[in-house]
Amino acid sequence: MRHAPDGVLRRLHDEPFAVPDATFDHIARCRRCSARRDHIAADAGRVGRVLSEPHTLPDVDRAWSDLQARLDTPGPAAAVSGAAGPAAHAGPGRGRRLTRVSTRTGVIAGAAALAVAGTAAAASWTTIFAPTEVAPVAVNSNDLQAVAGLMSFGDAGGLGAFPTSTGSGTLPFGSLHWTSSGPARPVGSLAQARAAAGFPVSLPARPPAGVGAPDRFVVQPRVSATVTFDSAAGSLAGTSVVITAGPAVVVTYGSRSGSAGLPTLGVLAVPRPVATSSGASLDQIEKFLLAQPGIPAQLSTEIRLLGDPSKVLPVPTPPGVSSKSVRVGRWPAVALTAGSGAVSAVVWEDGDSMVHAVAGLVDVQDVIGVADQLR
Amino acid sequence: MMKRGPWTDAAGVTGPATGGSSFESFYREHYRPVVSLAHSVLGDFHAAQDVAQEVFLAAHRRFHGDVDGAPGWVRVAAVHTALNVLRADRRRDRRHQLVPPPAAAAGPEEAALEQETRAELRRALSRLSGRAATVLVLRHGGMRYVEIAAALDIGVGQVGTLLRRAESALSKEMNRASRP
Repeated sequence: MRHAPDGVLRRLHDEPFAVPDATFDHIARCRRCSARRDHIAADAGRVGRVLSEPHTLPDVDRAWSDLQARLDTPGPAAAVSGAAGPAAHAGPGRGRRLTRVSTRTGVIAGAAALAVAGTAAAASWTTIFAPTEVAPVAVNSNDLQAVAGLMSFGDAGGLGAFPTSTGSGTLPFGSLHWTSSGPARPVGSLAQARAAAGFPVSLPARPPAGVGAPDRFVVQPRVSATVTFDSAAGSLAGTSVVITAGPAVVVTYGSRSGSAGLPTLGVLAVPRPVATSSGASLDQIEKFLLAQPGIPAQLSTEIRLLGDPSKVLPVPTPPGVSSKSVRVGRWPAVALTAGSGAVSAVVWEDGDSMVHAVAGLVDVQDVIGVADQLR
Repeated sequence: MMKRGPWTDAAGVTGPATGGSSFESFYREHYRPVVSLAHSVLGDFHAAQDVAQEVFLAAHRRFHGDVDGAPGWVRVAAVHTALNVLRADRRRDRRHQLVPPPAAAAGPEEAALEQETRAELRRALSRLSGRAATVLVLRHGGMRYVEIAAALDIGVGQVGTLLRRAESALSKEMNRASRP
């Protein structure tokens, strides 16, 4: 019998029962084939070890919602012509060519390209905001009022909270549409919270002194908001920006003494917010928004000082709250304290693109201590 | 015309995509393995998710409601796209005359060594031919030979041959890079 080809020896390593008995017997008896089999298996094992990096499980619900938002919102064809990047082969089969090129900023730096025949008119969306770290931004009530006014929410108390699960409204420069699968809802346990949110949530094994047991688990479903700029936005007209946030899990702790009242500690976990644009860049959008009447110059300066706006999640720091940069493990974090240190919080983003916050009626070292247990 | 594959194994796929009734169920079934394949190439979870979204957007346009042939297509498209991202990063790095990123300053020596090994793997992967790199990632991503054959529109007997050549080429590339 002829010696076994390399391809068969390779398959023997992965799928031994797919190799015919006669070939299997020959390899077992043939020193040459056995030696080649061992060499091939060693190469396969070595490559397998370096390729078998442990992978983080993505949040499918969130990803699907993101995709839905992109599918549901038509983008201007002009965005395609403005795209740049390397052409790429995509899809199986021989001779298929790409006809659409998509670019991205940040990590993949203008390189992710995918095109499929017959899709030349499709929209191109670019992620313009996907923060990887947090940074404090000093704000005062005027700033919050100004931003709330800009978004037509009336008062700062409503900022970031939509009145209904799904709805739409008019902005001074376009329209706003938001969707979510419902309001925040309490669940019975951490396991239920994890299941509802679709990501793991850790709690501290050793809460600070005086903090009791977890007494409330709340899940806020994911929210997606789409801002579409109209002619009042000048060169941004036609651009749609989709911002997604959540789902979020909040766990609160009671007092060790069992007394009713305010929670003593809260732990928040939420995927980082992400914004995608059908046309304009983040820089263009930021310049436009910060130039709107009523936006205080100091707030504009604070935001511009953040550096790369696409990578930094601002943590608003109102008057009376002091902030400092700390680290939770190897992640940059912002620690906040108020009330002469009686109330503290720490916010950070980890390497799995999850934003975490720990806050409570405890010392800042206590919240950092809790945070260190969660990483 | 692409063949249909029996999607049943460790690739994270649990059954054949049903004929065109629900792109959402197709997406939910295949999103994680697609991210995983892109992650194998890029080593970057966020970028892998971005690649997956682009692939599924393209799949939505390409297959409309009929996703029968799509499971293999999205996997191959994810690997191709991720490889292009990897190669574009290499070109950009060369332009900027960047050296490979240093290992983390803190942490055990072994972790730093492993990080460098993975970085070298990616550099070597980007130097392979597209077909070699693709078959390598698909197989080590958990796809069976019959699935790879269907996805790449080749005979199942060719898979082992391509895979062996790819692993040999990758080993040589990595050996060459590790020589002083």
